[in-house]
Amino acid sequence: MSEPDTPSPAKIVVSGFRHFFETADGPLQATDKIDLAIRAGEFVTLVGPSGCGKTTLLKALAGFIRPTEGHILCDGKPVRGPSPERGVVFQELAILPWRTVRRNIGHGLEIARVPRSERERTVTRLIELTGLSGFEERYPHELSGGMRQRVAVARTWAANPEVILMDEPFAAVDAITRLTLQEELARLCAATAKTVFFITHSVDEAVFLGDRVLVMTRRPGRIKAVIDVPGRAAGRDWESFKVDVAMQAIVEQVLRLVREERGAVAPAALASSRRENGLGA
Amino acid sequence: MSTTAAGSMVAAASRQPKGLVAARRLRHLKILLPFVALLAVWWAIYLSLDFSPQVLVSPLAVWHAFVHLVSHGVMAEYASTSLSMIGFAALLSLLIGVPVGFAVGINRYAAHALEGFLRFLQGISGIAWLPLAIIWFGFTHTTTLVIVIYTLIVPIIFNTMIGVRTIPEAYTLALRSLGASRLRLVKDVYLPGGLPSIVVGLRLGMGYGWRALIAAEMLVRKGGLGDLIFGARTFGQIDRIITGMIVIGCLYVVVDRLIVQPIENLTIQRWGVLRQ
Repeated sequence: MSEPDTPSPAKIVVSGFRHFFETADGPLQATDKIDLAIRAGEFVTLVGPSGCGKTTLLKALAGFIRPTEGHILCDGKPVRGPSPERGVVFQELAILPWRTVRRNIGHGLEIARVPRSERERTVTRLIELTGLSGFEERYPHELSGGMRQRVAVARTWAANPEVILMDEPFAAVDAITRLTLQEELARLCAATAKTVFFITHSVDEAVFLGDRVLVMTRRPGRIKAVIDVPGRAAGRDWESFKVDVAMQAIVEQVLRLVREERGAVAPAALASSRRENGLGA
Repeated sequence: MSTTAAGSMVAAASRQPKGLVAARRLRHLKILLPFVALLAVWWAIYLSLDFSPQVLVSPLAVWHAFVHLVSHGVMAEYASTSLSMIGFAALLSLLIGVPVGFAVGINRYAAHALEGFLRFLQGISGIAWLPLAIIWFGFTHTTTLVIVIYTLIVPIIFNTMIGVRTIPEAYTLALRSLGASRLRLVKDVYLPGGLPSIVVGLRLGMGYGWRALIAAEMLVRKGGLGDLIFGARTFGQIDRIITGMIVIGCLYVVVDRLIVQPIENLTIQRWGVLRQ
């Protein structure tokens, strides 16, 4: 799984990651022995059944939680807390409703005390890149769901992190908008050479965006399979992706792997997975 | 054809505001109706039952007493004592209550631990503290101030805490991943996110605090509208008592409608609606 002979060095290394949550009924195991290496510039997607520990892994990568067991290294240094080097895009709306689009996108730069003129330049470039031109002075509630997520993505990109962690960022967006956002994200990633770790429920999305797709088992989750996706996502669009036989074969393969896990989820496990989400927050 | 259509549209447009203005006027009149009714009932009872002036006086007598108290500067003095007391208490309560509410709200364990205690304190009204306060601070403004701040500060702490706790965790997580410090989180997330709740707490607190203030003034007897009406009782001045009561009610409405509510509306427009 971690390949010592890869050409590009590992940006993120996860070894022996196991995590437990304290609950009223004692400790609850969220993940089981995850080993993982993500190369610099790679787009890794992660699919798995609900409550398998995907978000737990992402929160540990971000530095929001400390692993119960195991290590997480970023550039060879242990992750000890959140850092602007690792940007996060959340599923739920995490942009601030009392800030305009422009002020939301520039927030990370404001925190980093980037001079105003430079900040404005970066923000303007990202507003153009994410198709938000003309909406700079709007508040989030004046935007559609898709545009709000564009703002969230742009805010993370503006801070220029080397690693970007995304937790089902397009799950709450309508299906048609989602297709556009996915294509835009693929282009944005290619243009900016970021290392991306992307969680999703959607097998199509995972294969469409990923250089590699990781499949997780049900909880306590571990990496069940790693599937390489040939070619770069940057050039992909949904129309050709849907008729690409090789791609669809990968989609089917991943789908089969995920379905095996989904079918095995007992109702009790689902109920406690909901609890886990609350605790993981 | 099109010109007549446009013409009638213009006419409709110019007619509409007039109707709106009239409707707004009617709505204002509606607010006054219960007051007029109360006045009528009072006057009817007074005229039909022939009370001695030791028991009930006519609205006209109250009006005369009001004019007298105002023209001699008495009302201004008592009212300004009460108003400055509630203003000072509100300011101090905000200065202490908001930081305490933040500290408690940010810390999940502290919030859980203190929720029951704050509810318990809400049950002990400020007036129930009066005996102790009088023993400790005597019949002084300090006693009154302590009672009013106590009454005002609990809803402010409580609502600030609630406000901070209802801010979605994703806001703070996202900012922390952008490198935000604790201070930055307070400034950029907790303060703007908690503001609508803080204002709600202030508004509630002002309502409770105003009542506690009048009660405390009645016992402390060092000025204020509570002192005015309680003092009038000793001389059987029914007209002064009722005048004082009406002023107490009016001042509360004025403070609430002209100062507190506009602030609330502003924050709700600016933040409340935006938060969704």
